[in-house]
Parts: sequence; C-alpha cells; structure tokens
Amino acid sequence: MRLTVDGVALEVPPGTTVLEAARSAGLWVPTLCFDDRLAPFGACRVCLVGVEGARGPVASCTTHCREGMVVHTQDALAGRIARNVVELVLSELPAPPAAHTELAQVAARLGLDATGGPAAQRWAGAVHEQSHDHRHPYLAFQHELCISCGRCVRACDEVQGAFALTATGRGFHANVTAGLGHGFAESSCVSCGACADTCPTDAITERFLVELEETR
Amino acid sequence: MSTNLIQLLTRFDGGRPTQTVIDVLKQAVADHGEVTDADRRRAAALTGLPEAATHGVSTYYDDLTQPRGRRHVRVCTGTACWAATGSDAHVGAAEAGLGVGLGCRSADGAVSLAETVCLGFCHAGPAFRDGDTVAAGPGALERILAGAPHQAVEPEWESTLDEPILIRPGDCSGLRHALATLTPEQLLVEVRGATLRGRGGAGFPAGQKWEFVARNPAPPTEKFIVVNGDEGDPGSYIDKYLMEKNPALLLEGMTLAGYAVGAARGFVYTRSEYPRAKPALDAAIARAVAAGELGDDILGSGFSFHVEVREGAGSYVVGEETALLASLQGLRGTVSARPPFPAEKGYRGLPTVVNNVETLCNVPFIARHGAAAYAAISPGATPGSKLICLNERFARPGVYEVRFGVTLRSICDGLGGGLRDGHTIKALQIGGPLGGILPGALLDTAFDFDALAAEGCMLGHGGIVAFDETTDMRALARHLLRFGAHESCGKCFPCRIGLTRAWELVEGDAPVDRAQLEELLETLEVASLCAHGGGMPAPIRSLIRHWPQELGVA
Repeated sequence: MRLTVDGVALEVPPGTTVLEAARSAGLWVPTLCFDDRLAPFGACRVCLVGVEGARGPVASCTTHCREGMVVHTQDALAGRIARNVVELVLSELPAPPAAHTELAQVAARLGLDATGGPAAQRWAGAVHEQSHDHRHPYLAFQHELCISCGRCVRACDEVQGAFALTATGRGFHANVTAGLGHGFAESSCVSCGACADTCPTDAITERFLVELEETR
Repeated sequence: MSTNLIQLLTRFDGGRPTQTVIDVLKQAVADHGEVTDADRRRAAALTGLPEAATHGVSTYYDDLTQPRGRRHVRVCTGTACWAATGSDAHVGAAEAGLGVGLGCRSADGAVSLAETVCLGFCHAGPAFRDGDTVAAGPGALERILAGAPHQAVEPEWESTLDEPILIRPGDCSGLRHALATLTPEQLLVEVRGATLRGRGGAGFPAGQKWEFVARNPAPPTEKFIVVNGDEGDPGSYIDKYLMEKNPALLLEGMTLAGYAVGAARGFVYTRSEYPRAKPALDAAIARAVAAGELGDDILGSGFSFHVEVREGAGSYVVGEETALLASLQGLRGTVSARPPFPAEKGYRGLPTVVNNVETLCNVPFIARHGAAAYAAISPGATPGSKLICLNERFARPGVYEVRFGVTLRSICDGLGGGLRDGHTIKALQIGGPLGGILPGALLDTAFDFDALAAEGCMLGHGGIVAFDETTDMRALARHLLRFGAHESCGKCFPCRIGLTRAWELVEGDAPVDRAQLEELLETLEVASLCAHGGGMPAPIRSLIRHWPQELGVA
C-alpha cells in the first residue's frame, strides 16, 4: 500500500499505522502514550497529524494507512493542538518533570518550557496530590507524576502478564496503582521493571538506578 | 480494552458469565455499604480477573465509590433538575436537611447522600431517590426529610402520529411478518433502505452497522446484538420510557436485528439510575420466551435468539459504544480507540452490533411495513419518527412522538404548552449535554439533524431542556462543565485535563479570557478520543456566541 508522508513516497504493508509509516521514513512525531512494544492506545492525542481529505487532525498511532493517503506531520493545526495538550499535561503535575524524562523532552521539542512547574503554566489549577509508595525493594511510585498514559499498566499486562497494575479513578483523578492500592509490595508484581522502563515521567522508577544516579 | 483481560474472562467462564465484577461489587455495596478489599478479591475469584483489575473497576463507577448508609438518598444533579431552580440549591438543601455531605455517610452509618446524574424524572425536577422511591418536584425533599416520600407520577406519553411507531405496545407483528416472509438478507435490505439513523446521538445508519456484522462469517453463537440503554444524557428519559413501558417492542427489535445479521445472543445494558428498567425487561423476556417469541426456535422458524439484561453502575461515558462494551463485561467503562470497531471486535472480541434502544424500537415497523412506508412518515425529512422529552419547566412536560422536520415552536408551544407559570424560554439545550444551546428566539428551527447542526446544535438523543428567562448563563456553564469534568472517563489527555481546566475557568465570577477559552475548546474538539470531550465545547460555544456578556468572556 502506497502513501505519502511529508512528500516522501512510502510503501507499507496493510495494517501499518500512520505513526509507524512516518517513523519508518525517519520523521519525528511526538508521542506520550505510545511504546512500540505495546498495542496502540490512543490516549495522549499528541501524535496528531494532518491527513488530506480528513475532517481534522487524526491520531497517527491508531490510524491505519490507506492507499493513496497524503499525510502531513507538520500540519499547523495538529502541531498547535498537540502542543496545547502537552501544555495541559505539564499543568497537572505539582512539580516540573525531570529533564531526562520523555515528557520533558517532548515538551522541549514542542517549544514548551517544562522547567517552570505549575505556576509557570497558563493553565493554572488543580494538580495531582502527592502520594508515594516507597516500600517495595526495587520499585518506587510517585503518583503525583502519573499522567495516566497507561504504558505501565499495559506493559504489566501485555509484556509481563503479571496484571499487577490498574488504572484507577476517572477524569482528572485518574491514576495508576498496584494491586488493591496498597503498593507494589502487596501486589502480584514480579519486579520485572517493565513499568519503570516505559514510564515517560518517572512516576515509577527503579530504586537502584535512582540511588546509583544520586551517589554518582 | 485489554485483549488479555477479555481472554482471561473467557477462559474462566467459557463466554457464559453468570455475573461480572460490577455485579459482584454492586452487591457488596448493597450488602455492607462499600467495597472492601475482601470484596475485590472475591470479585476476582468469581470472574477470573486479576485483583488489580477489580480494584480499578471499584474506583470508576459512582455506585461503587460513594458509601452507603442504612438509608441511602440520591440527589439528581442532572440539567433538568438544575434548570428547575437555575441552581443546585436542592443539593445543598439535601445536605443540610440530612446532615450529611454529598458523597458521604453519617458517622453512625444511619444515612448517606450520593450524587446521581440523572434519574430520568426530568418532567418533575428536582428529583431525589430515597431507597427505591423516587420523589420529585416541589415538596419532594421536605417529604423525604419528614420520612414520607412518595413515588413521583410519570406523565403518559403521547404520539402526534395517527399510527404511532414507538409508543404502540410491541405485539410481535414485525417479527412474525419477517420470519414468515423475509430472509435475513431481505430484512437487512429493508433496514438499509429505510435509512434508519441511530437515535442515541451520533445518527449513524443502523443498517450499515448491521451489514458489517452480517457479512462476518462467524457462527450465530459468536455474534451479538448489544442494546445501548445507557441513556445518560441529563434531561433525557426517552429510553427509560421505552424500556419500562414498552420492553416487548425493544425485544422484538433486537430479535429482528439478530435475525438480520445472524446473531443468536443479545444483551440490554440498562442504567442503575433507572432501577425499574431491568425488572421490566426481565419480565418481558420471560413473557416472550413463554409465548415462543424469544429463545429457541422462535415461532417455529428455526431461528433462535436469547437475551440477557445487565445493569450499569453510574457513569455517563459508558454510553459511548466501546466504553459500553467494556462495562458490559464488568470492566472500567473507559473509551477505546477505533478501529477495531465493535462490528469487528465487540463483546468478548467477537462481532457485535451496538444500537440504541430507540433505534431498535423502529425496526418492528420497518420489518412489518417496509422502507417506503417508513420514509413516508416524515415527508422531506429524516425517515421515521422521533421521541422527544420535555423538562419540568414546560407546562406539559413528558415524552412525545413527533415527525422529523416539525418546528421546535410546535414542540415547545404546541406540545409542551410553553413554559409554566408565565415563564418564557430563554434557551433550549437539545440532545443532551454535548448539544449546543439554542436561543429562544430561534424556535422556528426545524427539529432535524441538519437544521439543528446549522445552528451549532444537534438532535442528539432528543431530550429538550428549556431554561427560563431567570437563568444565569455563567451558572449554566459552570453546571455543564462540572458535569463534563466529573464524567470524563480519564482516558484521553485533552478531556481528562481540559474539561477540568474549562470548569476552573468559569468556576468563580472572574472574567474569562475569551481567546484562552476558545483555544481550550478547540483543543478538546480536535483532540479528544470520543464525543464526550469533543462535544462538551458545543454548549459553551453557544453561550459564547449568544450570551458573551453573561458568560463573562472578554
């Protein structure tokens, strides 16, 4: 199946998503909830691209390529809206994300200042309440940094099959928790670290890595 | 929706569950007032789901998160109840009168107060539910506080058609006719030819959904008809009437759908806010099975179709079809990206038709009389008829069957008799919370999909809520956005965060930066995963357009 992405002619197998096609052409499309080890989720809405003939920007991670499709990853509306969404995400965190996190890097690449914290945001308002799980020997959870991208829950489900994590709550209060909400130590967690590995905000971290970093 | 969780369920129950996690947890709340860890573990053991998944479910639904005392009172915060006084004064009065905060239980466990949206007594708001009794209208709260509530009377429904389609009692004539004279393919052709548009809000042609599933070669035991009875729109009580007053017509419609697409099983998903719907449907199922009109070898035709009823647990977004399917299986009612569409991967990952209650109630007429007769009902407009409902502000609130294309004036003044007590219509919200708001000066607009869309409104599901001349539009914006933020499923980022930010912008009385608000609305419209985040801006856009000063935008 043939399509054009930013003027580049591509040939892809049926079932390929627009995001996969764009990335195969070496093009950058921002994402937050996407991890190529996991099934597309379509939650963050940051991977928006323009498609000629469509009613508006589409989420490239869950849109399949069609014959003759013309895609623009630099679509002005898609870019502006994606930037707004990331700005909203920064506004829900009580503290700026660490510079090495995927969130901070996506924000920077979209021209947003992720370092100022909530006070620097134009969407000042409620932020997530601080809540920490530090009782597990290897994994730590800072719930206030969770942006509900679902990557950890899906890694635990799709990659590890441990089903130790779940999304909780709804709306702005959505978050993630282990087991029955009493922390990793009292869940079916097998300490594989897949959740920490995929987390784009350091809400879940591997303690040894963090401590190693701190003692350097 | 997690493919693996669905696999775990099916591995456990072979595709024939006797109960879902939601059923187990709702029973726990009914038994001892809240969900405990022991309940979550039990739900996991009884369904085959991991414990963490049951925990996620227990934190999602209103019925599972609000504690229950020995006496449990629910207060409706729907838009019709709000419009009755132009405020949520009835909520504060209930809190003060019962001595317990919203969403709380008294220390001694005697009484609890929960928020619910909406009880479907929009014809007599504000409405309260005390145990199993729904009391509504002036004096309702006082009677509850005095310990003597009585069940509110629901007005009879009326049709403006000589031969009603939707409010005539279901008599199985369409099904008899189809089984005797039409092949499944011929029935499908009639429904496609009738251009039966979905009545749940989106208006998608039902025949097209059916065709996808009909073409799928899966055996009938692996295809499903799911009825979306999650009429969550505050201000709507149309499907409530259909499910409670005319369940036989709905069963006939879904059996016809099963016949047309080759499905042997169906589910009706009802709302816990309508406690009488499931018993009414269960009784109608028993009657239909006894009469040979449902079950094995229906009317001797060789076609078999079985129906089960499942009740939800309090969530607006569950009305979205992918969220509905998740909830039907006992999972968190969050939206999934499409594709895959339910027609391809629905209930238990199998081909599924999801249709609204009213949509399916049109099918018996089409099966009996054909597409041409159906199109002739509303000449020059959308084929068929539509049920509409009017809120308590009208002199004659109730459910009415109308032709498409009639003017809103004929509905509001003719059927509704204008507003009560000499009030005048400042505005209408049509089709639910995702519908735009039409100024009272535009009542000559036709009641049909395209005409309403031209005014930034929508036909939606057909609920009509009038706001009288005393309504403060900034307060209305607060009411709507609070609802929107509260009901966001939390899956997609723009809706999860954006609706809370929009609510915060209008929460106080401070002037709102119009450009900032409009940018936020655009972000919601363009980026949201489903119609909740995508549609909540519509009424706010209307308020900006028609009442900018009242809204306080500059």
